[in-house]
Amino acid sequence: MNCRSAKRGQYSGDEILRDGEPSRSEAHQLECESCEPDASDLRAVRFALQRLPQAQSPVGLRTRLRVTASQERRLLLESDGSRFLRLWRRWKFRLNEMMRPFTIPATGGLASSLVLFSALFFTILSSTTGVAYDVPVLGSGAINANLVPAELRSGIVLSLSLDWNGRITDYVVRDGSGSIVGNPNRLRSNSNISLPEIPSVLAMAQPVSSDIRISLTPITYRQ
Amino acid sequence: MAQSLSGDSSRLSILAGAQAGVSEEDARILRGLRAGIEEAYEELIDRYEQQVYGMVYRLLGNQSDTCDVVQEVFLKVFRGVKSFREQSSLRTWIYRIAVNEAHNHRRWFVRHCRHEVSMTDGSSLEYTPDQGLSPFEQTLEGEHRTLIEQALTRINPAFQTAVVLRDIQNLSYEEIAEILQVSLGTVKSRILRGREALRRELTQRPDAGLAEVMA
Repeated sequence: MNCRSAKRGQYSGDEILRDGEPSRSEAHQLECESCEPDASDLRAVRFALQRLPQAQSPVGLRTRLRVTASQERRLLLESDGSRFLRLWRRWKFRLNEMMRPFTIPATGGLASSLVLFSALFFTILSSTTGVAYDVPVLGSGAINANLVPAELRSGIVLSLSLDWNGRITDYVVRDGSGSIVGNPNRLRSNSNISLPEIPSVLAMAQPVSSDIRISLTPITYRQ
Repeated sequence: MAQSLSGDSSRLSILAGAQAGVSEEDARILRGLRAGIEEAYEELIDRYEQQVYGMVYRLLGNQSDTCDVVQEVFLKVFRGVKSFREQSSLRTWIYRIAVNEAHNHRRWFVRHCRHEVSMTDGSSLEYTPDQGLSPFEQTLEGEHRTLIEQALTRINPAFQTAVVLRDIQNLSYEEIAEILQVSLGTVKSRILRGREALRRELTQRPDAGLAEVMA
């Protein structure tokens, strides 16, 4: 056997060996001067590998394996030989494991929504319902001249302050050019305008005891 | 005597002359596992934890990954014990699961975590038995060992597995053939190629002379 065929024979693996029995290729390599260095290196590699110490398992691993064994044993005993039951428990366990990452965010979300809702609860209860009426009135210079020196050529905002009995305590009229602070007594005594009816109009909705703004918008008819 | 072998494991065992089936000791453990007896679980862990850990550690080269893989291996053993047909020895069956799990883990690692950098050196956590060496000798020994371990992780995984099973775990060719589900010829070829690759790794690196490592 020459060196080339010895090497080929070694790699093709067509010589089936028992443990420890040198093949013809290996026998050749031991004797051949040109093959001997390679064979020697390979023996050295094998020797170095055999000298590697056995990797010692960490102490914690034994505990982990025992826990795993205990869980599996419990599953086996609880299923009482039923394959279906065992599979169901296993999948249930996996599902629980899978849901675990969602548990903390979901709980956090629920808790924060509860806190926010409870914080807003009192604000919602104590808030006053704001009412705004847009009352279109027909432009009539004769009527509003009696009340305020404002002409209904543009929109006017009438802000009224009501007490708990629904009575007007103060009012302000604002148009585009400025604002006029009115006298409530004068407002009440004016009979040419239906403003005293405003509280009753407002009462149609609900009792109001705060500031009310009424926008008066002129409507122009083309004759 | 040249023979052509198929990949069929049962036929392989017969042709190779490997011990077919389980021993009396293994059969006793298997019966205990199937009946849910605690002592059987304990005995299985006692007997195979160290062996499986040592083998998987040499294949992966990382302690924490090895622990995860070993746990997965035992989980599969516990769950698969009912379907184990006892056509090979218990050790061969467990080693086969371990090799497959290690390969799966390596594939997963290559796909997902190869760019990650570990902050700790796993080897520093390893238990080093007192061999009666001086600190200098221990350091040298440790360096040589690290060189070989690193070289081992750089060679082809198929060759690496065969070399680890043969030269570190001291399994017979027949057992390796059963574990890897290949023919004896392939086993021998892989072992030789693995040693060759290892030799190249050790000789081609300027900082890792083969002679130094072997010294």
